[in-house]
Amino acid sequence: MASRDLRAEVDFVLLQLLGDLEQLEAKRQALNARVEEGWLSLSKARYAMGAKSVGPLQYASHMEPQVRVGTSESQDGLQKFWMVRAGTQTPEEVGSREAAFLSSALRRRKGLPRTPEPDSSPAPQNPLKWFGILVPHSLRQAQASFREGLQLAADMASLQSRITWGQSQLQELQEKLKQLEPRAP
Amino acid sequence: MAGRGKLIAVIRDEDTVTGFLLGGIGELNKNRHPNFLVVEKDTTINEIEDTFRQFLNRDDIGIILINQYIAEMVRHALDAHQRSIPAVLEIPSKEHPYDAAKDSILRRARGNI
Repeated sequence: MASRDLRAEVDFVLLQLLGDLEQLEAKRQALNARVEEGWLSLSKARYAMGAKSVGPLQYASHMEPQVRVGTSESQDGLQKFWMVRAGTQTPEEVGSREAAFLSSALRRRKGLPRTPEPDSSPAPQNPLKWFGILVPHSLRQAQASFREGLQLAADMASLQSRITWGQSQLQELQEKLKQLEPRAP
Repeated sequence: MAGRGKLIAVIRDEDTVTGFLLGGIGELNKNRHPNFLVVEKDTTINEIEDTFRQFLNRDDIGIILINQYIAEMVRHALDAHQRSIPAVLEIPSKEHPYDAAKDSILRRARGNI
């Protein structure tokens, strides 16, 4: 009876694993399509702006990421990934910045010598501005394609984590099954 | 840092790095190493491997995007990476189409199934 339940569990985990693999491949194809669209748009932008106008020579000397990846781990070790855009601050970050702003404003009102304001980091600059003030539409399209690609990358990372977790679950169940049903010599 | 999320690192050809930097993932300042590497014809395997290992060891990187043909050069380091963070995603390049048989994650999954 116990081995039958275990076999059912193995089948369930295996089916889930296969489903996740299928999803991962679908996401990968979608990501590849977005990246290829992005390449094409970059080529069009180069055609409009000049061959050397879209590349590492235009990268800013100071970059602040507009997009980060959020991560969380569940109790059983499963990792999840999602995109976090700049400007979505935590309450602690908002509170400390407001306090710094108020204290500097109060010092100025009282006429005390200005103390250096806390280093409040500016909002991340849109990377399109590295390439000039008026950029061709194709460069904006490239940005949009790669941004969509980043969301797919986060989904793929979550799926990879689930696949790895599913594999370890499968291995454990197969070990238990071996112990319950040792093979005849 | 925990509230703001982790970085996405890229080790890829020039066009793909430019594209993902346009997407807003780039970080570069006086104190920190960049979270990207543009792989060109004269980029050595040692440089790629050093950068890849640095990215794996940084605790502020959540995902590493890498060309599959570049991943082949550092396959031993990739296969040794068992942690779930940073997640390493192998993506094709213009000249080298994606080959599922070479992907580390899929090879491990195939072995189990």
